[in-house]
Amino acid sequence: MITFSNVSLIYPQSTKTILEDLSFQIEEGEMVLVMGETGSGKSSLLRLINGLVPHHTGGILAGDISVDGISTRTVKPGSLAHLVGIVGQNPINGFVTDIVEEELAFSMEALNFAPDVMRKRVEEVLDLLSLSALRNRSIATLSGGEQQRLAIGAALVMHPKVLVLDEPTSALDPIAAEEVLSVLHRLVHDLSVTVIIAEHRLERVIQFVDRIIFIEGNGDTSIGTADEILKNSDLVPPIVKLARALNLSEIGTSVREVRRQTEDVRSKEYVRPSNTPTHTSTAIEISKVSHSYSGKTALNGVSASINHGEIVAIMGRNGAGKSTLLHSIVGLHSPQAGEIRVDGVDPTTLKGAERRKSIGYVPQEPSDLLFASTVSEECALADRSNDLTPGSTASLLNRLVPDISTHAHPNDLSEGQRLALVLSIVLSGNPEVLVLDEPTRGLDYRAKNLFAIALREYATQFNRPVLLATHDVELVAELADRVLFLAEGEIVADGTTLDVLLSSPAFAPQVAKVMSPKPWLTVSDVVHAIEGQS
Amino acid sequence: MKKPLHPLTLWICAILLAIGVVALDNAFIALAIVGAVALLVYIRRDGSPWQRSFALSIRIGLTILAIRTVVGILIGVPIPGTNLFTLPILDLPSWMPGIRIGGAVTLERLSSSLHEGVIIATMIALFGAATSLTSPHKLLRVTPSFIYEIGITLVIATSVFPQLATSARRIRTAQKLRGFEKLELRSIAIPLLEESLSRSLQLASAMDARGYGISRKRSRYRPIPWLMRDNLTLLFTSVLAVAMVTR
Repeated sequence: MITFSNVSLIYPQSTKTILEDLSFQIEEGEMVLVMGETGSGKSSLLRLINGLVPHHTGGILAGDISVDGISTRTVKPGSLAHLVGIVGQNPINGFVTDIVEEELAFSMEALNFAPDVMRKRVEEVLDLLSLSALRNRSIATLSGGEQQRLAIGAALVMHPKVLVLDEPTSALDPIAAEEVLSVLHRLVHDLSVTVIIAEHRLERVIQFVDRIIFIEGNGDTSIGTADEILKNSDLVPPIVKLARALNLSEIGTSVREVRRQTEDVRSKEYVRPSNTPTHTSTAIEISKVSHSYSGKTALNGVSASINHGEIVAIMGRNGAGKSTLLHSIVGLHSPQAGEIRVDGVDPTTLKGAERRKSIGYVPQEPSDLLFASTVSEECALADRSNDLTPGSTASLLNRLVPDISTHAHPNDLSEGQRLALVLSIVLSGNPEVLVLDEPTRGLDYRAKNLFAIALREYATQFNRPVLLATHDVELVAELADRVLFLAEGEIVADGTTLDVLLSSPAFAPQVAKVMSPKPWLTVSDVVHAIEGQS
Repeated sequence: MKKPLHPLTLWICAILLAIGVVALDNAFIALAIVGAVALLVYIRRDGSPWQRSFALSIRIGLTILAIRTVVGILIGVPIPGTNLFTLPILDLPSWMPGIRIGGAVTLERLSSSLHEGVIIATMIALFGAATSLTSPHKLLRVTPSFIYEIGITLVIATSVFPQLATSARRIRTAQKLRGFEKLELRSIAIPLLEESLSRSLQLASAMDARGYGISRKRSRYRPIPWLMRDNLTLLFTSVLAVAMVTR
């Protein structure tokens, strides 16, 4: 269906070759994962398939790409619209109309389809993706998962043979992500659609894919089945790490496979590890906080206290009130009822330098804080505003990501580097409390690991609390001491990470699913338990 | 709720009424029309984002009214009549004859200033109501296809523009939380510009990938029909406007 023959891609003014001499074929009805570190060229590879690269972006392309026998060289991306459906990283940015039905019809209108054909196809897609109930809704009011399904639907009305998706689940909570992936699975199996998908969170997609294209970042690319590629890769999901740690003969990609191989591990009795030291002195006190936006309740009588030295994850579905709670804690608005104290102070009263010393906040879009034209300028600004000796922020950054180029424009950094930059700027104020909103979107495993180490260091070294809202179950398992689980603006669970994650099947990490009913969340939990026993 | 009128009907009615209001030049009837239109907008409210434009147009109208009245009282040719109060007269150089700042404020002068302000504000409110009753995207769909190219530029503009306000607020908030209290243009403009540029590019490439501009002709998924209701509404408004103009 898709043939790449000797494809090389390089962008002008860039010293790095994105792809070099890449050749492969993808058959009809195959589901292929494109993986690689952030900034390695996954999106470029995806957009080569319908010719958006280089027709829309520029760049020098050698070799030939053909889709269903048509070479992308000779036609514009729009002429492939009936053949290739593409769903971008942020579907909301690609919507053209404001009503669900009209969005679905847009492509067909543009290609002058007859009205009766359009009606039929819109109905088909509404049913296929269970969007019927939303047909007359305004797109702006849809949830993240619904928007993602709509974007897939808008591509599917053209009956494309190939569907290309760029990180379709990165902004979604685990349940919404599962919905989207099961839709893709059905398309591949029932309709023989060829699906190409790029994703960082391998644990979510790995069980569905037939083959993997691994872009190694230095121009090299390897293609093979999941087993072949993951055997030698650094970027692996926890389930593969587990198989390696236990020296299993085969690398399994689904929970079921690995469960079968680890029966003997689970059957033994283990000593339960002694509980981690409890933190007792309160840093953040939240009492009976309620807040609503234009009549819609976002928080409803939330009470919790967060202690010094504790890393607390706030989880819950999209729209459960996580961001509102964080905003109340950092003092963006005073809650309509109840009160919040951060180290005894009302956070809404904090200003300027005093604020930088009290609360460090990393927003959902880290780039909101960046406006200097180089990394070093940005660091110098942070030094100045916090009265630090010049170079302090830069050295902090250097510890997080040693290979960062200080002359680069912040916008040209990879996601992981940009997050590290913002984190070091925020930490340069030496805040008493660190609050982060969805920090790991778009990070690969390596970047996520560095990030987790930095947060852990901050919490233990200074005995200060870290609060983060996230959908990333695996990160929470590795990092958090405690989880607050929100639903419909109320706290439905508040307990240790172990208790909360194990009690909910949708939010359980991979290792826990494999090792259930043993109380282990991460590979190191398993290794510790086995070592402790022998 | 009944189906809304055709977008063009609403716009033509707004224009006709505006002509009528100007021709009739009666502030009380103008205010009555604003009242009726406000009632219509209130009944038709559905929580859509463009709905807010009516309230905005009223606010702009009131601002203009206030400025017009203040300026009318302060500057201008005196109109004789009942004296309300007297302001101190500002001495102007001799090469500016015929203009007076301050002086006696008569009831007639006040009412004529107010009157003009009300007429202007009414026109703005009428167009604000038309905007708030029809989605800009819907209006684009009924525009003739030969100006469609302009339409699509408007699609990008209208979808990026509301985003701009949201993004600006988000960036401002993030920076305030970093402890930067002073509003610096550069610190907001640069992230905002970067974001809106990349958004527009993403939208353009999405439209490109979905086949926009490949076919010269374009079909309509759900054409907006022109109904008897539209004819009747137009007829009624035309009669009203003619009556207002000929009086």
